[in-house]
Amino acid sequence: MRAYFSAFRMRLRLETQYRGAMIGGILCQLFFGIILVALYRALYAGRPQPIPIEHVTTYVWIQQSLFRMLTSTDVDLYDKIRSGNISYDLCRPVSMYWFYYFRAAAQKLMGSLMRGAPMIAFAALLPRGWGITAPDSLPAFALSIAALFPGFLCMCALENIAIGVTMRTLDPRGISGMLSLLMITFSGNLLPLTLFPDRWQAVIRWLPYSQLLDAPIRLYTGEYAPAEAVWIIPMQFLWAAVLMGLGMWLWDSNRKRLIVQGG
Amino acid sequence: MNTIKLYVRSMGMLMKSHMQYTSSFILQMLTQLVMEGGEMLAVILVVDRFEKVNQWTGGDLYFFFGMMSVSFYTTEIFARGITGDFPSMVRTGRLDTLMLRPRTIFFQVLCSGTDPRRITCIAVGVASLIIGSRMSGVEWSVLKALALTEAVLMSCMLILGLFLIEAIFSIHSVKSVELVNAITYGGRSACQYPTDIYPRPLKILFTVVAPFALTMQVPAAWILGKPLYGWPAWTAFVTPLSGAAVLALMIVLFNRGMKYYRSTGS
Amino acid sequence: MSYIEVNGLKKSFTVKKKREKGKLFREKQIVEALKGISFSVDRGELVGYIGPNGAGKSTTVKILSGILTPDGGEATVGGRVPWQERREYVRHIGVVFGQRSQLWWDVPIIDSFSLLKDIYRLSEADYSSRLKELSEALQLEELMRTPLRLLSLGQRMRAELCGSLLHRPELLFLDEPTIGLDAVSKLALRDFLKWENSEHGTTVMLTTHDMEDIAALCSRVMVLGHGRKLYDGKLPELLEKYDTVRTVNVKYDAAHPELVLPEGVSAEWNDSELSLSYSPSKLPTAQLLALLQDAGRISEMTLQPENIDHLIAAMYKEMDL
Repeated sequence: MRAYFSAFRMRLRLETQYRGAMIGGILCQLFFGIILVALYRALYAGRPQPIPIEHVTTYVWIQQSLFRMLTSTDVDLYDKIRSGNISYDLCRPVSMYWFYYFRAAAQKLMGSLMRGAPMIAFAALLPRGWGITAPDSLPAFALSIAALFPGFLCMCALENIAIGVTMRTLDPRGISGMLSLLMITFSGNLLPLTLFPDRWQAVIRWLPYSQLLDAPIRLYTGEYAPAEAVWIIPMQFLWAAVLMGLGMWLWDSNRKRLIVQGG
Repeated sequence: MNTIKLYVRSMGMLMKSHMQYTSSFILQMLTQLVMEGGEMLAVILVVDRFEKVNQWTGGDLYFFFGMMSVSFYTTEIFARGITGDFPSMVRTGRLDTLMLRPRTIFFQVLCSGTDPRRITCIAVGVASLIIGSRMSGVEWSVLKALALTEAVLMSCMLILGLFLIEAIFSIHSVKSVELVNAITYGGRSACQYPTDIYPRPLKILFTVVAPFALTMQVPAAWILGKPLYGWPAWTAFVTPLSGAAVLALMIVLFNRGMKYYRSTGS
Repeated sequence: MSYIEVNGLKKSFTVKKKREKGKLFREKQIVEALKGISFSVDRGELVGYIGPNGAGKSTTVKILSGILTPDGGEATVGGRVPWQERREYVRHIGVVFGQRSQLWWDVPIIDSFSLLKDIYRLSEADYSSRLKELSEALQLEELMRTPLRLLSLGQRMRAELCGSLLHRPELLFLDEPTIGLDAVSKLALRDFLKWENSEHGTTVMLTTHDMEDIAALCSRVMVLGHGRKLYDGKLPELLEKYDTVRTVNVKYDAAHPELVLPEGVSAEWNDSELSLSYSPSKLPTAQLLALLQDAGRISEMTLQPENIDHLIAAMYKEMDL
């Protein structure tokens, strides 16, 4: 257990190092946020939708603020996989799945906190209909924060699945590239899931990708009533368990393959 | 003449290198296809829900998306050295070796990278252009085809010029690459929609600083039969030239920046 | 006026220090890589340029090859200033970096050469005669169709040399060309450089950490340290100053003969074998030999100069590098 915790701590510290890149990243993400908000406002001006624009802009800002949670990846690890050095790691006596799970968790947590906090503060200062609105109610707020946790677990589990696939294919730009595309699309980063066709939404909301940020955001804006959290949060945990199981199976079979091939 | 021949030969050589890894190359081409398809899906879903924005119909929006997609990825194919590889060339010292040769640095960097996988992205863009022009009922003429060609060409130059900003940043070993991405990738995301839907500050940004409005929107508006601000037809051929102007300016700044290049190591 | 004229060349870099705890921004530090270097080199000379890591060797080479602009001082090579008119200047020089390739990684080397032909605007006739000459001298004929990445390190270095000499440069810079090479490749490389220098009168400036390279190739050596030139002259003369000790190994027929050595000579016995070191300046060699011979019948004997790397280390130490 201590090994996992120290992996987590090491990665946390590493993430706080690149301050210059972080400021650049925040400004870039702010710019993207403003463009998206302006776009949806223009679209709304012509044809208002049942979901109020304030909810859409809130959606956009939370997605942009926590962008790093979705996209930050462990470059060192991918280099290790490509060079084949990962085989040494896989044969160590601790569970490498959890070792790298905690590393990814630290990276995603720190990356999104350090960038997300200033961005949300900025978005909160914007006028209504441009920025982030207050939560629908106090319970809605509390539940959305609570729902972020299993969403985060799902996120790290998905990351480990992508890594597991890359260990197979050795090329991060192939299948795992497509996995990340699926994630960007169906997590609501490309376009808020609330703006997807209604019939699609009936399906998409059950996918693991909407557990990451979409479910917490909908709880926050009141799209999901607080009472619905009774089944939403358990579903998130269920998905987290399923994704972890899938990832562990993948890593384990990779390890066995390595042993069979003799490294 | 020699310069063009050298560029063509360099590209041929790079293609040869890419073809050494055929299966990975094909897989990556497919990935690119799916990714650009995903980008287009977002536009399709927007059109599905909102149908139009200001005076622009769904078909118009596909047309804009196609123009941006074709321009952006054409630039990536022919100038990958600038749009992708340059920061690593600075970091690894490969730029040093280019400085030892009797050609301009800008030209040599152009010659040292290509990204042929993007051909599938261009295919998506072309499909979107065709769908868009059908839906909007564009009646094609030689002049309109010329206007479109010029618009794409000039947008490529503009995009290249914007990526040169990133290159200039990395000469001075500034690591805020993400910040510069705001203007390149951010510009692409924003300007795959008509820029006149945005509030005034963004409009000014995309007319004066990164003039996609001039290289893309003015000609597109004329082709789609919705002249901007009632401007006459010839403006559709004149305003895109701003793309070449931006590129020229950036090349001058790039060359000046190279004077301060400090190489790596001791 | 000499071919290369360097006068008071200066270059400093700003280096960002690691951010200290509690401080928001990193502090900057100015490092003077060159503190005013002057020298001149004649056409056709083979010059070695040595010094410990960080002495400013690479900076000098980068300035003289037009990559960096100095902060102060002057330099001309063949009447041209390297950092002005870079494109015209580099036509006349060739540079080989030991750890950096100038050829294309995934394509046959002949394709790289042919592209270089276009880059340097060489005529077809000139190119093919030069390529033939170089590929014979460097034994590259068999390798022309092989991609660079499949060549061994020694073969790769030969290909790099060929690539950087195709345009018949007057001046060749070599930055640690023998790094990582095996003995055979090193010897072949040295032979080739001698040949190119005598055949075409190419001026060669060589930076290296391998003193054997210098000893084999360069009649003249410059020592650089802390951004200053510390020595400029012949290698033997430089070594003489530090070459104060000789080692002698003697084997006698009988075990442990009687032998009394003067003070200042350290000796070590191993049965019938004696190993000792002495300074010829304090104890004349003839006198030592007489002593050794008086002690018994000598069956074997070797006399060794100090290892060249030890000498250089001693020199760096004395110069406080």
